[in-house]
Amino acid sequence: MAEPVIVDRVTKRFADHTAVDGLSLSVPSGIIYGLLGPNGAGKTTTLRMIMDIYEPDEGSVRLFNDVAGGRTHSARIGYLPEERGLYPKMRVLDVLVFLAETKGVARKSARAKATEWLERLGLAERRLSKVADLSKGMQQKVQFIATVLHDPELVILDEPFSGLDPVNSQVLRDTVIDYRRQGKTVLFSTHIMEHAEKLCDRLCIIARGKKLIDGTLAEVKNTHGGKHVIVAFDGSQGNAQQIFADRRLVAKFQDFGQQAELELAPGADAQEILKALVESGARLSRFELASPSLHKIFVDLVGPEAATAAAVPGGEPARGGGARA
Amino acid sequence: MHKVWAIIRREFVERVRTKWFWVSAILGPVLFAGIIVFQIMQSVGGAVRDIAIVDTGSLGYGAQIAEALGASRTLRANTVTLSSGVLDSLTALVESKHINGFLIVSDSLPTEGKAEYRASNLSLQTIEELQRTLNRVVVKARLQSKGVNPPVVDWAQALRVNLDQKKIAHGRTTTESAGESFILAYVMAILLFMAILLYGVNVMSSVLEEKTTRIIEVLVSSLRPFQLMLGKVIGAGAVSFFQFVIWGVSARLLISLRVPIARALGADTASAQTMTLPHIPFATLAVFMAFFLGGFLLYSSMFAAVGAMSSNEQEARQAQQPVTYLLMISYLSIIGLTNDPSSTFARTLSMVPFTSPIATPVRWTSGSMGTAELVLSLAMLVVGILGVTWIAARIYRVGILMTGKRPTMKELVRWVRTA
Repeated sequence: MAEPVIVDRVTKRFADHTAVDGLSLSVPSGIIYGLLGPNGAGKTTTLRMIMDIYEPDEGSVRLFNDVAGGRTHSARIGYLPEERGLYPKMRVLDVLVFLAETKGVARKSARAKATEWLERLGLAERRLSKVADLSKGMQQKVQFIATVLHDPELVILDEPFSGLDPVNSQVLRDTVIDYRRQGKTVLFSTHIMEHAEKLCDRLCIIARGKKLIDGTLAEVKNTHGGKHVIVAFDGSQGNAQQIFADRRLVAKFQDFGQQAELELAPGADAQEILKALVESGARLSRFELASPSLHKIFVDLVGPEAATAAAVPGGEPARGGGARA
Repeated sequence: MHKVWAIIRREFVERVRTKWFWVSAILGPVLFAGIIVFQIMQSVGGAVRDIAIVDTGSLGYGAQIAEALGASRTLRANTVTLSSGVLDSLTALVESKHINGFLIVSDSLPTEGKAEYRASNLSLQTIEELQRTLNRVVVKARLQSKGVNPPVVDWAQALRVNLDQKKIAHGRTTTESAGESFILAYVMAILLFMAILLYGVNVMSSVLEEKTTRIIEVLVSSLRPFQLMLGKVIGAGAVSFFQFVIWGVSARLLISLRVPIARALGADTASAQTMTLPHIPFATLAVFMAFFLGGFLLYSSMFAAVGAMSSNEQEARQAQQPVTYLLMISYLSIIGLTNDPSSTFARTLSMVPFTSPIATPVRWTSGSMGTAELVLSLAMLVVGILGVTWIAARIYRVGILMTGKRPTMKELVRWVRTA
């Protein structure tokens, strides 16, 4: 099967800035694809162009090998926007049936499917409640049902984990993995690297509207190789700061407080660092030779100013200006 | 089309489910029933007014007036002779509502034609009746003073001319009176104004709701913005149409039940039967509905654009003002329109698309508009709707995905150009 999503050198400019700049990517069928980037990198704009909500200024988007936009194929695509919302005064079941109808599902089968999904996610007895009377977590479940109710072959999720508690996060992860097993394609955006690292088969990191790297997770890690060591402390850190700052041993490091990720200097021996640490009186709970974490690669690529945003799980803060035309 | 249908259905069902829809659906007939009951109660003899006649002279005019009023169904007169302090005590009686008022006549009545009526509540009906009676008495006295036989005078005055009013409208003589069509036109104009404003604002808040709850993004990923706007406008329009049907049917029902209602109230059933009902010809109804629909489409697409360019209720309230003012022009012109439906002012209003939805039905109802003019007005309205919807759809399309500050006029123009 052809690639369900091909983005070919698209550019989108708004009044005062370029949101997406000559971006190309292609999502093969049947995988989980992560679109990663810091806040304001152009992830949402890219997804909106794929969904035919925005028209690219340059370049083109092909869905299912067809230039007709996302709206034409809306029956085959499930889209969960970054900004969630449902009609607060409508009944849960009615909202689901309505949204499925806008995707072209017949009323009757929409009803049956909605009921089935509500049962599966434990919301069956709330189906006649008003959306506004549900808890936030339940509303997010309803929103997710609305995204997949019409059984799409391509699911596009914009920051799906933002605002989810750990339990619901896990439910979502399981569902996404289940989707891949069924041979469906999932494209999702996130700025939380941990999610991407656990889920993605392929990924693309973008910043300021431009692609920095893409490929399979392994490819990305290999390209940005270098020997890495993860150190975790158990109490005293000894002389750690001084040892990490030794450029003969450590090329770069990232300090997370109780844990640190080191990139070894060329020719340096990890054992030497371990020895130095122990001798300086540091108590270690972990000392591991590892490939770099996605987080590390991300920060290296994007630059330190993005590190703060990337390290805070729980959703991008709303951008003040919003969308511009 | 299936998708647009889903939008229409949702808009309709969700609105009809709201409390306020049923409140207004019930309030309409209640108001109408109130009007009918009020009319019946008025025709019931309850409204007999007591008045006193003070005769300051000695020629017996007071007694004659009292006698002439004897046949009246609404006035009951007692003659009082003038003595000191009688005017004060009568004034006190009026004050305490024992009598409605008192009439003062003198011997110079037939020569000078002057009398005085003092009352706390000068109802037009009482004044007219007194005036008529006084005239009869004066004419009789004057004729008698020239030697005409009293029975001859009575015979001469016994006949009253009944002036039957008929209106010529659209080249035909109709059975409605000019007064009735005035009221009909007036009521229609008010109804049109209220319905367009109410349901137009509804479209606006519905657009705004989709925007503030962000559900709009899901919707525009499966429908074109224009389909969405179309579905909304039609859905809200169907709700108002349904509202009118409820009102119309219940009004019709109440009218057919007016005799039993009158009987239940202990009133004269004959008076209920003859109750004046405006006769609404089919053509008038058709014009009314056509222009309601046109006006609704025109204004609700403007309101949809207003909803799309605002990001909260407060902003929307401000942004809707220009649109509301536009509608207000027709509302404020209703009196002028009904008073002189063929003036240049009225003609102009019925040609401009923004005012014609109200002005044209008013002019048509009052019979001062030809078919050619009607067709022209309708054509202008259609052109107006196409133009306004085109602009509104472009603003809507860009606006629905916007958040943040409201666009300036310059930005709006850019939206329309580039969308």
